[in-house]
Amino acid sequence: MKFIDSLQTALKSLKANKTRSILTMLGIIIGIGAVVSVLSLGSGAKKLIVGQIVSMGSNTIFIEPGAWNEKMEKGSMLESATEEFDIKTLKYEDALEIKKDPNIDMVAPFVIGVDRIVYKNNNRKITFMGTTPDALEINNTFPVLGNPITEADVKSMARKVFLGHKINQELFGDENPIGKIVRIKKQNFIVMGVGEEQGTQMFMDLDNVVYVPLTTAQKLLTGSDHLRWIVARVKNEDKIDETVENIRLTIRERHNIYNPEGDTAKDDFKIMSQKETAKMLNAITGIFTIFLSSIAAISLIVGGIGVMNIMLVSVTERTKEIGLRKAVGAQRKDILEQFLIEAVVLTFLGGTIGIIFGIILSYLSGIVLGNLLETNWEFIISIKSIILAFAVTTIIGLGFGVFPARKAANLSPIEALRYE
Amino acid sequence: MIEIKNLTKEYRHGSLLTKVLTGVSFNIKEGEFVAIMGASGSGKSTLMHIMGLLDKPSSGIYKFREKNIIDMSDDELARFRNKQVGFIFQSFNLLARTNVLENVKLPLVYSGFPDKKEEEMALKALNSVGLSERLEHFPNQLSGGEQQRTAIARAIVNHPSVLFADEPTGNLDSKSGQQIMEILQKLNNQGHTVILVTHEKYTSEMAKRVIQLKDGKIISDELVACRKFAKDGLLK
Repeated sequence: MKFIDSLQTALKSLKANKTRSILTMLGIIIGIGAVVSVLSLGSGAKKLIVGQIVSMGSNTIFIEPGAWNEKMEKGSMLESATEEFDIKTLKYEDALEIKKDPNIDMVAPFVIGVDRIVYKNNNRKITFMGTTPDALEINNTFPVLGNPITEADVKSMARKVFLGHKINQELFGDENPIGKIVRIKKQNFIVMGVGEEQGTQMFMDLDNVVYVPLTTAQKLLTGSDHLRWIVARVKNEDKIDETVENIRLTIRERHNIYNPEGDTAKDDFKIMSQKETAKMLNAITGIFTIFLSSIAAISLIVGGIGVMNIMLVSVTERTKEIGLRKAVGAQRKDILEQFLIEAVVLTFLGGTIGIIFGIILSYLSGIVLGNLLETNWEFIISIKSIILAFAVTTIIGLGFGVFPARKAANLSPIEALRYE
Repeated sequence: MIEIKNLTKEYRHGSLLTKVLTGVSFNIKEGEFVAIMGASGSGKSTLMHIMGLLDKPSSGIYKFREKNIIDMSDDELARFRNKQVGFIFQSFNLLARTNVLENVKLPLVYSGFPDKKEEEMALKALNSVGLSERLEHFPNQLSGGEQQRTAIARAIVNHPSVLFADEPTGNLDSKSGQQIMEILQKLNNQGHTVILVTHEKYTSEMAKRVIQLKDGKIISDELVACRKFAKDGLLK
């Protein structure tokens, strides 16, 4: 039998049972659509994470209070950044000590909180960061108006704030904010400067941040002298692992931790370089992608069983036709081919629609996620995932089609002809 | 052309052994028109299936054009059927969603001719059964007689050496049945060997030779003394 004849026969048969064919295809459409969109969203997430981390620079080190195994899990460093926090093991003095390391370029201690900022009748929810001048540089925040926080401000506990771009626009609009008085937690602050538009970095919207001198923030806003985290920047990126070790030793010494075997579980702090964070987050996204793809793959198997089911029905319904075809000279392989092609056409059509459906779905989810995370979500569809989807649909068609097709091919011609 | 010696066929259902054919022997030469007669259960359909290469005997010798059928595989039989045998069934067995032309082409699909040649052969076959005007019709748009003529066209499209007709008039009114018999006689005159399975004495008398079966055995095998011709009209 010529391939084109088989194809026409298959299409004719699928067309004859339109509703049935479409319902059967639905399983494949959903499965393939899910796989395509999960893969797309996975790549988008990876790209976003890498982008966020690159914007911070790969030469930075994070130091957080609390041991690895205590309360916090790996990876929670970021998500809990603005949550209530009560581990009090990291102090400003630790940051000053770290800065003495010859490979350390800058050190920024942070306290952080969420509150409302008030200017006249206007108020906005903001993230405030109590920090030192280094922080603005590490975050690449440069003033478009006024001046950044200075060492003097930190020393003198100045009641000054440096506004993120968005918060300035929302509070002041076209008005010049410099020298104006704003209120946070019923305390007055003078606006000393405004940052450039920056977007998000490490999943924090820097345009919605209000910088306050560290000492001021500790005294007036958080009311304690412990830090939320310290960010350090190294001069020589190649020596970053060595520097991380040195910082560890320094803090242990300051905290009187006897830990010669270097067991990080015994420390009351944790250190992670930006590179490690990137690696870890990538691994997490990778696992999520695999996990979700597996679920999608299960729905594909279910779809495949649907195809097998409908092909078995089709073989039974067309027993007489098979008998006739055999009587006029169809060999085993002709019948096998006919039904296999029919199954593959069914899954392939379903797969094609599924790919389109998956692309649309991931595009729309990208828009939703972008809005939700307030970032630019990049819409990525890799050629690889589309080739994979087509390959999988063909394999499903062949795999689940072979049993019904064999059943058809093995029918004895007389019994098939007699079938009513 | 067909050589049958001591042919038997048994079916086994669990422990129950049914003997359908118990030692049948006869020869058929090229150009013959043979009617196989018998009551239902006499084994005539089984005999036709074996002769038409759809089934294999349990024992005995069956040679078709000098070839021993017993040794052939299912696929070889399929290929042989495609080239050598044409079937006409009582219930026509046309493909419902397929038009007349495509139905007639069906055996050619498995022959590997170029498309143009296929078309040519199908048109010629349809012409010889007088259906050239009905190419695009679907079976349900045709009368029973027209459907059976389509089936005949399908049977002869590949120029087989033998035509097997299994009660071809059984589902038709007498006028259409007569038309069908006329076509079969015409095809026989043109040199086709025709083997007709029937239980009607009247139809069998349109053949040249009648073989009577009873309980899986031949009880008579004789030439028709007073042959009837369908074109002479209804004699019944």
